[in-house]
Amino acid sequence: MKKLTILMLLSFVMVFLAGCPKTPPPPPAEEPVVTQPVSQPEPEPEPEPEPVKELIRESAFMKVYFDFDKFNLVDSAKAALANNAKVLRDNPSVIVLIEGHCDERGTVEYNLSLGEKRANAAMTYLKDLGISANRMSIISYGKERPAVLGSNEAAWAKNRRAEFKIVSQ
Amino acid sequence: MKIIKIILIVLIYAAAMASSMAQSGLSIRDVHGELSTRSTYQPTNISVEDVRYSGIDFITYSDTVIMRNCATILRNDLDFSPYFAIVLLDSFFLRHMELIEMSMLGWQRLGSEYLVKLDAEFPRNRLRLSYRLFSVAQGREIRRKSFEDYKEAHRYIVHDIANDIVKTLTGDEGIYRTKIAYVREIDKAKEIFMADFDGYGEVQLTNNGSINISPAVSPDGKYIYFTSYMDGEPRLYRLNLKNNDVKQIAGYAGLNAAPAVSPDGEYIACVLSRDGNSEIYLLDKDGKIKRRLTKHPAIDTSPTWSPDGREIAFISDRTGLPQIYAMDNEGLNVRRLTFQGSYNDSPRWSPRGDRIVFVSRQPNFKVCSVDITGKNFQVLTDLGNNENPHYSPDGNHIIFSSNRLGPTELYVMDFLGNNQKRLTMKGGFSNPIWLPLEK
Repeated sequence: MKKLTILMLLSFVMVFLAGCPKTPPPPPAEEPVVTQPVSQPEPEPEPEPEPVKELIRESAFMKVYFDFDKFNLVDSAKAALANNAKVLRDNPSVIVLIEGHCDERGTVEYNLSLGEKRANAAMTYLKDLGISANRMSIISYGKERPAVLGSNEAAWAKNRRAEFKIVSQ
Repeated sequence: MKIIKIILIVLIYAAAMASSMAQSGLSIRDVHGELSTRSTYQPTNISVEDVRYSGIDFITYSDTVIMRNCATILRNDLDFSPYFAIVLLDSFFLRHMELIEMSMLGWQRLGSEYLVKLDAEFPRNRLRLSYRLFSVAQGREIRRKSFEDYKEAHRYIVHDIANDIVKTLTGDEGIYRTKIAYVREIDKAKEIFMADFDGYGEVQLTNNGSINISPAVSPDGKYIYFTSYMDGEPRLYRLNLKNNDVKQIAGYAGLNAAPAVSPDGEYIACVLSRDGNSEIYLLDKDGKIKRRLTKHPAIDTSPTWSPDGREIAFISDRTGLPQIYAMDNEGLNVRRLTFQGSYNDSPRWSPRGDRIVFVSRQPNFKVCSVDITGKNFQVLTDLGNNENPHYSPDGNHIIFSSNRLGPTELYVMDFLGNNQKRLTMKGGFSNPIWLPLEK
């Protein structure tokens, strides 16, 4: 009798132990096993390194510098734009925003307009070099975002610029 | 013996007066490097006595501090007006006249034409400040009035007294309760702020971490229009000063910049570059285009309305460098106003309608003014680069920004360039405007 009760108890315990945890743990154990094989065959990891190779940095684009109160392109500016046109041609999926900037002299309002003229001049030149207009847009920051702080000719020269920012690639 | 003493004192005093007059005849440069003898008007001498406590209860130390502040604020207010010059009590004079307290005769001898006496009481923990205005020559009281408010508002009580004195003696509305708005650089952002005319009581109006520039106020003083990059592109927004509610009103392609509200409050002249080039447009107050005013491949910007609303002055670089022009509100009858200097920018029409203040590069940027026919050119500042001049509502003062001491700060001066005074001291202040009189 004692043996029987012990056996029954043991079997109960075994059933309990086996039954209870059995149902919840296996699915979580199985599910990752199921999902992992599903995600592994996906062809994503292979294309990922490819864009990494293609990714260009903003520093690939040269800054375009201007004279005081001018938006016409001097020779060095044209050279910088030729470089930027090449970068755009080599990376046909890249879309850029051309920012126009000014030095601190003159009013906020005048410099906003002047910065826009500079960005426009850069964009027009790139169009002439065969870059599609729908890959470029412009914005003027006037004198609000100086590259260098300072009130001297060296700082001003660095702030009168058009900068290329990558919107998407 | 006593006669000799009096004669001696009179002699010493006359010598002192003569030397001070000789000094004021020279070109003395004040701390800001400006010529302090440019005035062509004669201000009226006025004195303000220290505040007397006229209550019966004990007062606290902080109450006495308020009383001292009140006299100082009133002296500063009156001295700020081009109509008045403050005459201070001269302890040397007092001692040698063997006076314990200044009398009307004493003030007269010091050259004061008017005298203000102030009495303070602190009923129910508030401040009641009463003033009495005397004509010193006639020795009689001209006016008395009391103002009462919370103690914390004592600056405004004094400003009310100053307004009342200006109104009594000149007939003009004083500007001591007016506000200014301006742009402050905070980290990389530029935000719009508002403060009292003297720089106190600053409040921040925008807080979007972006670039907020070119504030312009509606004639009723209720709205500030400005350009902001808060949504990425430079667009035009309207801020309600009652609840700081901000609403975009113009988001055309390209620039939406340089707003100027018409004197009737119905239109906004501003710059749009939707045609690929900056042109001045007339928008209604909700941003709909009413009319295009300029049509030129050059930059046209910075519109400013004449007070009658018939004309708009603006800048254009159609001759190569920016110069100031005026046109009617249809965009016709364009005439050039500036011929002195190669680079003129930042025009503002005076509220009296007779002059335009602007900035001229020669070669540092100076605040200048010219009458509306383009004649009577005047240079108003000397040192540093000075920008964005803007008249006070009474036309007596000009606020502007300057980097004459290094950092860019706000300054005020009268319309002739006298009494140049710095309002701020932390750097990064620009684009000041003066808000209209409260109605």
